[in-house]
This record gives sequence, structure tokens and C-alpha cells, in this order.
Amino acid sequence: MLHLITGGSGSGKSAFAEGQVLAAGEGRRIYIATMIPYGEEGRQRVERHRKLRREKQFETLECYTNLSKLTLDADSIVLLECMSNLVANEMYEKEGAGEKTVEVVCRGIRQLAEQARHLFIVTNEVFSDGITYDPDTIRYMEYLGQVNRHLASMADRVTEVVYGIPVTVK
Amino acid sequence: MKLVIGGAYQGKLAYAKKNCHMEDGWIDGRTCGFDEILSCKGIFCFHEYIKRLLCCAKETRSESSACKDTVFLSFSGSDLIHLEESADQFVKILLEKNHEIVIVSDELGYGIVPIEKQDRIWRETVGRVCTCAAGCADEVVRVVCGIGMKLK
Repeated sequence: MLHLITGGSGSGKSAFAEGQVLAAGEGRRIYIATMIPYGEEGRQRVERHRKLRREKQFETLECYTNLSKLTLDADSIVLLECMSNLVANEMYEKEGAGEKTVEVVCRGIRQLAEQARHLFIVTNEVFSDGITYDPDTIRYMEYLGQVNRHLASMADRVTEVVYGIPVTVK
Repeated sequence: MKLVIGGAYQGKLAYAKKNCHMEDGWIDGRTCGFDEILSCKGIFCFHEYIKRLLCCAKETRSESSACKDTVFLSFSGSDLIHLEESADQFVKILLEKNHEIVIVSDELGYGIVPIEKQDRIWRETVGRVCTCAAGCADEVVRVVCGIGMKLK
């Protein structure tokens, strides 16, 4: 089963997603982390998420680009977080997919979904602040928007989390 | 506690006034005293209140002088790791002192990550406080184009 979980920043998406993994029953709980911890603030964010996952028995796999290189056991219950980081990594990191970001990300996820028992993906709504950004950022928003749409069409369930409250989209 | 959220200029306050039958007793998060939140019937521009609180907490810390406002205590020493605890503590104080309060706040989290660190912390703090408040609230409504959608 593929469940896409979206929402704004600080909306409680991660906590909700972890709750979904725990509710999915026994299995090998895998957390795929995509955020490269740059600087002190990045380290703090990672630490915050680690704290949330502590004692929930997740194994953490770090994967900053190219999801296709991962292989998963058939009894895996996977939490992949977060599309906003993964898309940025694919676009801007040296080993990233660059212009092929959308294609590479979606292919990687399709492969994970085929391997794992359950796949929960956290993404991010970054599209509603009305600001016209520089062309690079606009391209990022476009790619993330395309990835979100692809994933939602693939997904069995789509949930938007609003301040910790799940709102069913699909 | 009731929470009314949504984007800017969606008619959140008008919705809250009408549906909570509460014309008066509101304070403005942009200008009110910090502890007024503990006795008012409702607050609007709550996101701006949080911004001022963070800004003031930062100044207070650097001067290392104690602030007499009750709500302040919950945000002293706040950083990204302790944000959730600060948010929980803030909401706990609010519930103890003013559990009937109606909170009207903009939702801030639906954009690109802000360049300024203080803006990132503000956005995140509003999210954590509102998530905690939503968890405790009897009712959560999101207003879009003046129309309320009851989420809880």
C-alpha cells in the first residue's frame, strides 16, 4: 500500500506518518532519511526527528539521491521523508538527476513501492505563499508539484495533515 | 478552546465572531499585552502574537533579565529542538488560565522555506503551537473564502 502524506511546515505530518507506520502492524520498520544535515539548524532538525523516532524501532537508511539504489525486504514498512528535500537534492547536488529529477524520483518510488509491504511518503505543500521567486526556485516548485501529482495518482491513500488533524484527500 | 485557521484575508475573524456569537472581548495579537491572552475571550492575528513573543523572548534572553509575563516563561531558551516542549508548555498555561479562548490564526506553513532564520523559527513555532492547540481544542475550523470547514 502506498500512502502519501502532505501538509505545510510544522503541521505535524511526521508525527502522523510515524503513527501510521506503527498502526500498520509488525514488520521491519525502515526510515529513509533524505535531509542532508547542513549546519547547526540542519543538525537540530535531524535531532528533533530522531528524538521522535526513538523507541519506535525504526532502522534509518540515509539516501540523499537516487532511491533506485535501495533494496528492501518484502516485510518492510517504510517511511520516506521528505520529498521537498529529495527533489532539492536531485536538482542541486553533484550526483543528482538534474533535469531528470521528476522522472528519477518517481521511478525510485515505484521501485520501493513494489518491494515494500507498506510505503508511507511525506511530502510538503510549498505552493501557497503567493511570492514570485527566482527562476531556480520556481523550477523547484514545478518539479516538486509534478512529483506530488505523480505520487498522488499512484497512491492508494492521500492525506493532508492540518495541525495534526488528518484530512483525507484520496 | 476553539481554533480558527486559514490563509490571510479569508474572513476568519468574521467567521469566528458570527459562529461563536462573540462580537466583543477580542484582543489583537499585533498590539495586545502578552498576558492579556490569559483573560480575553478571543485573540485574532495569533501568528503575529507568536512573532512578537519570540522576538521579545530573544531580547529578554540576551539581556538576561526576567520577564514578568506568565506566558513568557514557556518560551525562554527556545530553539528548534525544544520548540515542541515550549509549545506544549505555552498551550498548557493557556488552557489552565483560559480554557474557553477562541484563537484565530493565519496558517503560515504553505510556502517555500524562508531565507531568514528568525522567519523559519517563527513559521515553525506557529505550526507547533497550533498543532498542540488543535490537539487540545474542542473545535478546529479552517476558513477558506469565508466558509468554515470543520476539521475537528
